[in-house]
Amino acid sequence: MNIIEIKNLSHRFADSTLGLENINLTIREGTFVIIAGQNGSGKTTLLKHLNGLLLPTAGTIRLAGRTVSENLVKARQMVGMVFQDADSQIVGETVCDDVAFGPENLCVDRNEVKRRVSKSLKIVGMLDFKDQKPHLLSGGEKRRLAIAGILAMEPKVLVFDEPFSSLDYPGVKQILKQIVSLHRSGHTIFVAAHDLEKVIAHADRLVIMKEGKVVKDGIPSQLLGELETFGIREPCASRLGMEVPSWLN
Amino acid sequence: MAELSAFNFRPGSSVLHGLDVRFKLLFLVLISVTSLKAYPVSLSVLTLVLVAALLHAQRSLKSIFKAFRYLIVLLAFIFFARALSVPGSAVIEFKAVSITREGIYHGAMVCWRLVIVVLTGLAFVSTTRPSEIKAAVEWLLNPFPFIPSKRIATMMSLVVRFIPVIFDQARETADAQRARGVDNRKNPVYRLQKLGIPLMRRTFERADKLAVAMEARCYSENRTDPGLRAGLRDWTALFVVICLCMFIVV
Ligand SMILES: Nc1ncnc2c1ncn2[C@@H]1O[C@H](COP(=O)(O)OP(=O)(O)O)[C@@H](O)[C@H]1O
Ligand SMILES: [Mg+2]
Repeated sequence: MNIIEIKNLSHRFADSTLGLENINLTIREGTFVIIAGQNGSGKTTLLKHLNGLLLPTAGTIRLAGRTVSENLVKARQMVGMVFQDADSQIVGETVCDDVAFGPENLCVDRNEVKRRVSKSLKIVGMLDFKDQKPHLLSGGEKRRLAIAGILAMEPKVLVFDEPFSSLDYPGVKQILKQIVSLHRSGHTIFVAAHDLEKVIAHADRLVIMKEGKVVKDGIPSQLLGELETFGIREPCASRLGMEVPSWLN
Repeated sequence: MAELSAFNFRPGSSVLHGLDVRFKLLFLVLISVTSLKAYPVSLSVLTLVLVAALLHAQRSLKSIFKAFRYLIVLLAFIFFARALSVPGSAVIEFKAVSITREGIYHGAMVCWRLVIVVLTGLAFVSTTRPSEIKAAVEWLLNPFPFIPSKRIATMMSLVVRFIPVIFDQARETADAQRARGVDNRKNPVYRLQKLGIPLMRRTFERADKLAVAMEARCYSENRTDPGLRAGLRDWTALFVVICLCMFIVV
C-alpha cells in the first residue's frame, strides 16, 4: 500500500521565494527513505508538508489515501516528526511529562497515557530517566526523548530531520540503532541528511533534492556515483568501489 | 539553577508521595497558619513531626540543612531586627542600642515559625511532581469561568522547562563575549546591550521552534485531564493534620 502520495507539490513562502517546485513522490508503507541535499535544498520544507505544518501552494499530499489538510490532527498523529533541534522540541518539565504531552493532546485516557509513556521510554531505553529534568540530559538522550515523545502518539511514519547533527560517535550509533529498529518494527522512515555516510547502508530509497526540486529518486546503491554533482559527499567506501558498510557493525 | 536543587522533587514511595496534591496543598496552608499561633512546646512538636515526615520521605538531614543554607542570612536579619527593636529588659547594651530579653524571645519565635513554614514547603515540593502541582493549579482555577486554566497550566510548565535553558544560553553568550575581550569595556550599559540583544533573539527563535514542535504534536487545550483522585488515605491524613492543628491552637 502507498502510505504517502505527493502529486505536483509546490510551495511558495510568504516572501514569495519558491521553496518547493513540482514534487512527485509515492512511498510504500515500511520504506526507509533518505532525503538528501545541500543546506537550503528544501528538505525541511518538504518534510513539514507531510504532517501539515506547511500546506501546499499547489498540488496534493495524501496520507493513506486521505489529503493531509482534510484532518490535520490525524496527519500529525500519523506522521511523527523529530526536529533538528531536539532541545526546543521538549516541552515537559520532566522526561515522563514530556512523553505524556502528545497523548494528552489527543485526549487519550489517563491510564492509557501512562501505559504509552512507559512503553515509549522503554523502546528508547530511557525508563530510568523518568523523573530527570530534560535540561540535564546529553544531546543523544535529548534526541531519544524527542523520539519517545512522538512514539507515544503511535505514528506510522517517522520523520527525522538531520538526526545526527551535533551528536558524538556513541550518540550517532544509538540514534541510528533506534531508527533501524523502528524501521524493522514496521514504521515508514524518512531521514533528511546532507551527509549520507551514516545512514545509506540501511535505506531502501534515496531522494536527492536541489533548489526545491527532486532531481534523483531511486535505489541508493545505484545513485552513489552521482552524489557529488548535487553537492553531497559520496561515502568513502563507495569511492573506493566497495559496498558502504553499516555504522552499526 | 543548581542552587535551588535542594527544593526539587525527589521520586520516592512514601506516604507523602502518595497523597493527593490538593490535600497536600491544604496541609501546607493549615500548618503554616497554625504555626503562627504556636509557642515553644507546640513548635517543638511541629518541628519534630515535620522532620520525621521529611526523613520518611527519604530526605537526609544533610539535604534539609542544605535547603536552609540560603535562608540563614534572612533568618539572622529578622532575628536581630526583632531583638533590637522590641522594648524590655536589656541583656546587652551598647550606646543607644540594646538587645532585650523579650526581643530575643520574639525574634526566636518569628524565626522558628518561618523555619516551620519552609520545612512544610520543603516536604511539599520534594514529594510532589511538578506535573501534579500543575494539575492542582488547573483544578483550583477551573471554577473561575474567565480564566483559561489549561492554558495557564501549560504556560507554567513551559516556564519551568525553559528557564534553565535561557540561563544556559545567557551563560554561553556571556562566555563567548568574554572570550572576545568584552571585559575591557567598562560601560555596563554597553555590555548589557551586547548580551541582551543576542539573548533575546535566540530566545524568540527558540520560542518559534517550540511553537512549531508543539503544533507537530497536536497541541490542543482540549486534552486529557490531569488524573487527580482522593482516597481514604487522603481523608485520614486530613483528619490527622486537623487534630495536630487543633492541639497546637488550643
Ligand atoms: N519561512 C521561510 N520564508 C522564506 N524562505 C524560507 C523559509 N523557510 C525556508 N526558506 C528557504 O527555503 C529554502 C529551503 O529551506 P529548507 O527546507 O530549510 O532547506 P534544508 O532543510 O534542505 O536545509 C532555503 O533557501 C530557505 O532559505
Ligand atoms: Mg533543514
